[in-house]
Amino acid sequence: MLVLARKVGQSIVINDNIQILVIEVRGDQVRLGIEAPRSIPVHRKELLEQIRAENVNAVASTDVETVTDALRKDSAES
Amino acid sequence: MDMRVETTRFGALEVDESSVVRMPRGPLGFEDQKEFCLIQHRPDMPFRWLQSTSDSALAFVVIDPAEYFVGYEIEISDLDAELLQLTCAEDSLVLVIVTVGKEGKTVTANLAAPVVVNSKTLVGMQIVLQDGRYLTQHLLLAQEERVSMENATAKAA
Repeated sequence: MLVLARKVGQSIVINDNIQILVIEVRGDQVRLGIEAPRSIPVHRKELLEQIRAENVNAVASTDVETVTDALRKDSAES
Repeated sequence: MDMRVETTRFGALEVDESSVVRMPRGPLGFEDQKEFCLIQHRPDMPFRWLQSTSDSALAFVVIDPAEYFVGYEIEISDLDAELLQLTCAEDSLVLVIVTVGKEGKTVTANLAAPVVVNSKTLVGMQIVLQDGRYLTQHLLLAQEERVSMENATAKAA
C-alpha cells in the first residue's frame, strides 16, 4: 500500500483521471473530494462490506417454509 | 424455450428462458454467479426466488420494493445504466433482496443495494446506491402498516 501524507487542500492523482482532494480535517474525520470518470464506481468501503455480508445473510436464511410463513405474516391483510 | 435448473429447495425445474437473468457481475460476495432465474414458487405470495442456474443451493428471496416501501426511489448511475443497457426507466425491474431472521421472526430488505434488471434484455445487476437514506436492513412491515420512507426505521436482524 502506498502511504502519502496530505494537508488540507492537497490532492492525489491516480491514473491521470482520478483525483482525491483533502477538503477538510475535523477531529478524526477527513472530508475528501473525489473526481473520477463516471465509468468508475466510488463507494465507502464499509458499505460494500455491509452489502456483501447482508447478501450472505440473506442466502443463509432461505428455508422455504420459514420464508413463506414469515412473508405471509407480513403481507397478511384483508 | 425451456431451461432445466437444479435447485435444492424445489428440485429440478423447467424454467422459461424469459425468466433467466444474466448478470455481468454477480451479486456482491457472489460475483462469479452470473446467471439466475426468477421463480414464483407460490403464485399467491408476493415474493419470488432469484435462483442461481449453476449453484443449486444459491437462491435469494426478492420482493418488489414498491409493495412495501412507499416512496422508495432509486437513482441509477450513468455507469450502471450503461452496464444494464438501460435507455429508459420504464424498462427497469427493481427488486430487493430479503433476509429472514432466525425462525422467521424478523424480515428485512436490503434497500441500499437493489437488484435492477433490464426487463427487455434480461441483463441485471445488484447496484450500490449512493443515497445514504437507505439501509441494508430495512424492516418489512405488514402492508397495512406501510409508512413513508421518512418514518421507516431499520432493525438489526
